[in-house]
Amino acid sequence: MTTPLEELKNLGEAFDRAADAVADSEAWDRLRVAWVGRKQGRLRDLMSRMKDIAKEDRRAYGQAVNQLKQRVESKIETLKADMEARVAAEASAAAALDVTLPGRQPALGSLHPMTHVVREMTQIFAEMGYCVAEGPEIEDDFHNFEALNFPPDHPARETQDTFFFPGGMLLRTHTSPVQIRTMLDREPPIRVICYGRVFRNDNDLRHSPMFHQIEGLAIGEGVTFGDLKGTLDAFVKRLFSESTQMRLRPSFFPFTEPSAEVDITCAACGGVGCATCSNTGWMEILGCGMVDPRVLRNCGIDPDRYSGFAFGLGVDRVAMNRYGIPNIRTLFDNDERLLRQVRG
Amino acid sequence: MQFSKNWIGDYVELPAEVEKLGERLTNAGLSVEGLEVCGDDHLMDLDVTTNRPDCMNHFGLAREVAAIFGRELRRPAVELEPVADAIEEVASLEIDDYELCPRYTALALRGVKVGPSPDWLVDRLEAIGSRSINNIVDVTNYVLWETGQPLHAFDLTKIGGGHIRVRRAAEGETLKTLDGDMRSLDPSILVIADGKEPIALAGVMGGFDSEVTDATVDVLIESAHFDPTTVRKGAKKLGLHTDACHRFERGADPEACLDAARRAAALMIELAGGELLAGALDLYRPSAEWPPRIEIDVRRLDRFAGASIGWERTRDILDRLGFDSAPVEGRDDDGQWLEVTAPPWRYYDFENGHAQDVYEEVMRIYGFDAIEATLPNVGGPDAPELPELRRRRIVQDTLAAAGFAETINFAFHSRDVDDAYPTFYADREAMELANALSDLYAIMRRSLLPNLVATARYNQRRGRGAVRVFEVGRIFGADAEQGRVEMETVAIVLGCVLGTPWSGQRSLDFFDLKGVVEALATALSTELRFRSAEALKLVPGATAEILKGEGPVGLIGQLDEPDLAYPLFVVEISLDRLGASTVSLETKAPSRFPGIEVDLTLGHSLDVPWHEIRDEIQKAEVTDLVSFELKDRYDGEGVAAGAVNTTIAFTYNADGRSLRHDEINERQSALAARLEQRFGLGDAR
Repeated sequence: MTTPLEELKNLGEAFDRAADAVADSEAWDRLRVAWVGRKQGRLRDLMSRMKDIAKEDRRAYGQAVNQLKQRVESKIETLKADMEARVAAEASAAAALDVTLPGRQPALGSLHPMTHVVREMTQIFAEMGYCVAEGPEIEDDFHNFEALNFPPDHPARETQDTFFFPGGMLLRTHTSPVQIRTMLDREPPIRVICYGRVFRNDNDLRHSPMFHQIEGLAIGEGVTFGDLKGTLDAFVKRLFSESTQMRLRPSFFPFTEPSAEVDITCAACGGVGCATCSNTGWMEILGCGMVDPRVLRNCGIDPDRYSGFAFGLGVDRVAMNRYGIPNIRTLFDNDERLLRQVRG
Repeated sequence: MQFSKNWIGDYVELPAEVEKLGERLTNAGLSVEGLEVCGDDHLMDLDVTTNRPDCMNHFGLAREVAAIFGRELRRPAVELEPVADAIEEVASLEIDDYELCPRYTALALRGVKVGPSPDWLVDRLEAIGSRSINNIVDVTNYVLWETGQPLHAFDLTKIGGGHIRVRRAAEGETLKTLDGDMRSLDPSILVIADGKEPIALAGVMGGFDSEVTDATVDVLIESAHFDPTTVRKGAKKLGLHTDACHRFERGADPEACLDAARRAAALMIELAGGELLAGALDLYRPSAEWPPRIEIDVRRLDRFAGASIGWERTRDILDRLGFDSAPVEGRDDDGQWLEVTAPPWRYYDFENGHAQDVYEEVMRIYGFDAIEATLPNVGGPDAPELPELRRRRIVQDTLAAAGFAETINFAFHSRDVDDAYPTFYADREAMELANALSDLYAIMRRSLLPNLVATARYNQRRGRGAVRVFEVGRIFGADAEQGRVEMETVAIVLGCVLGTPWSGQRSLDFFDLKGVVEALATALSTELRFRSAEALKLVPGATAEILKGEGPVGLIGQLDEPDLAYPLFVVEISLDRLGASTVSLETKAPSRFPGIEVDLTLGHSLDVPWHEIRDEIQKAEVTDLVSFELKDRYDGEGVAAGAVNTTIAFTYNADGRSLRHDEINERQSALAARLEQRFGLGDAR
């Protein structure tokens, strides 16, 4: 014979087993109806059995019944809350975004590598007080050659394979005619940057018949060769890196004197020597010099009073270097698959 | 140009390390572009600039090395013992024009035995890339590469009457040159003639019939000096380029003629035997410009360089380079003046010389690397940014932000495409190159579109997605007065399907491109209008002219091309014609009260253009209507054929108060009635 208290204990254990087995809301509902349902809940009639309990045990029995009821009701509530939380978690898990899916980008385009590089260069010189000047791409002999001290029939002209038009006009072979136009138009002091397309009759794997130059010109009283060096040094350090070293090799251009080719420490290897710089550690980057007094005089500037310097470089090579484009002609293939990779 | 290190070392002591030699030469202006070990010698590839013909030979390079390192120069000794018979007995000389030939010298040898050269001579010539021919000819080449003075050896017996005359060729004369080609001559070409006919091209190449052969016994060595321009023009006309003319056209040393001839004679006798006749033919009338003299102020040189080179150092450097310098007394300024005289091997470089020419010489030996880097103190106001630069930047940035890739295309294309496309320069001739690379690049473009369309098609063939490209560049046209005119334009091409179903997919069409143009106009603060038009290469009915005010500034349309994978839409706008912005930059403060948005749908015939509806709404001047836009067009099911339902979205807003729906409904009803009356389908509906 089990005592009523023992029965209550067994009942409690039976509930625990049933509660542990509840897995979904239907089972929970069955559990609730079976144990605390108003009609046939198993705990419903426990109090009514009080009359069958020995008087001295009634108090303990009543307490035990109440404890069991509270425990069962509380457990059923807890089960419900747990289950609702689980359902909500499942629902929200089902609704969660795969945040690794691609975003819907606004359609971004791209600027040409040349535009990026030229903007950077003109910005550097703008900060040094230079402004940008432009001129025609179809030039005359005076602006492209004669005023720049290329005498007629001089071998120096041969180094600039020129495209001609019948009647003597030509495609400018460099942006220097813009310097001539600027000097003819303006009185010193002058600080100007000229950028644009230039043309040479040269078409092979390493040459494009059209390419781009940027040139600078500074003219004033007392401008020195040291000033030229300082300006270029500031420029290449800004454009490449603070550790870039520079050397000037004397050279010859008809429009400057002295003239120099400027090498910088190879950007690829930092000057130790690699394939990019043919193991020399140096990369030729620009040409420069002090403006030839004949050029100043051709432009109505008194060379005894003023001096100045000029420099020029191929923008294409810098762009190729920066974007790892091995062939100049690739720059003008205009393949969108390449262009759209280019960032500033 | 290739040189032998050991050969240079014949005339000056060289530094032990060849790298050191290369570095110092490079820093003095003779760039060593390559260095190759060749047996016990090094071959140096030097970039000798056109102003330094004096360094296009080994002795000249030794002279530079001596100046750079401050070392002594060793001139090869020439010892000759002529026989009693004088050259005048076998040869005579006349020069027609000393401007063209300031000097001509000749020596005569008799009894030489022509044969192969010894190994040392063959090796030296091979080192600099020259082929051995025979001992006499090899000596002339050797002396050219030693001294820089071009020489020629004639078979003396082949010179008619032994008479040398330097003259212009006569019209119609011919000469078979050494290379076996028959050359037609004219008076622009300077020749060496005998009593009868040309026997050599002066300064360029000898004649076939008077050359030294195995049978030659008597030799006349020519060592002359010719005018650079004359040699250059003649060689160019005949399509010839030789070691000799390469030097003459850059300027040789007129004082070196006789020494070089004597050096050659000594070597020939050494290698081929024979004897030298006494005396020399030598006619010389130096230019009045020689020697060039230039006065420099050493203080100015220092100020120009930005260095303290000073009087002593300057004179020392000039002296080492062979320049004379003499102090100039009595100038009434505080300068330190020197009169500098150029050496004969630099005459041409210093003709019409300027002080700066001398500064250059001093500075390159002083060393560019020894000059301190400073920043210029150039004052004066900066010029403002050019408006066209600002405009170009806005166009590039707007289009790049709108999804287009910037391209750069060649400025030339073929005549065919230039004619096929519309152009802003329809009233001008295209500029045609005289020496184009090919017909494909013969014409300066009068429109950016042909090359940009080619670029679009290139991408069409390669890409999966849509093509969206643009270019900002110039077009060109002929002009009688200025020679040419140029105009900056922008061209845009787009087509195909943009995006994926995931990202939102759409087929690009005319209105996508028109929208881009409208966005550009907004960015440039310009108002543009569109008017239906017809144009070359564009599909009729899908083409419009773009106007600013009444002026045409562009064309837009669907490209009329066969075999396109998908339709392409193109536009070209003249940026130069857009001019300054026309729209006020002033802004209007938005109302602090919420606005009301309402739609209105109007059924009307497809014949009614949108701009008429738009104008009618504007004309109605509805109170508080701040904006309206086309929301949708529908002509599907439920809409009569030839008709369309246009839905317009209206935005109302009032300053200072909230609007009520009933008052807006009233205004909208009135507007709807007005539009219905003018455009509605009435009974036809």
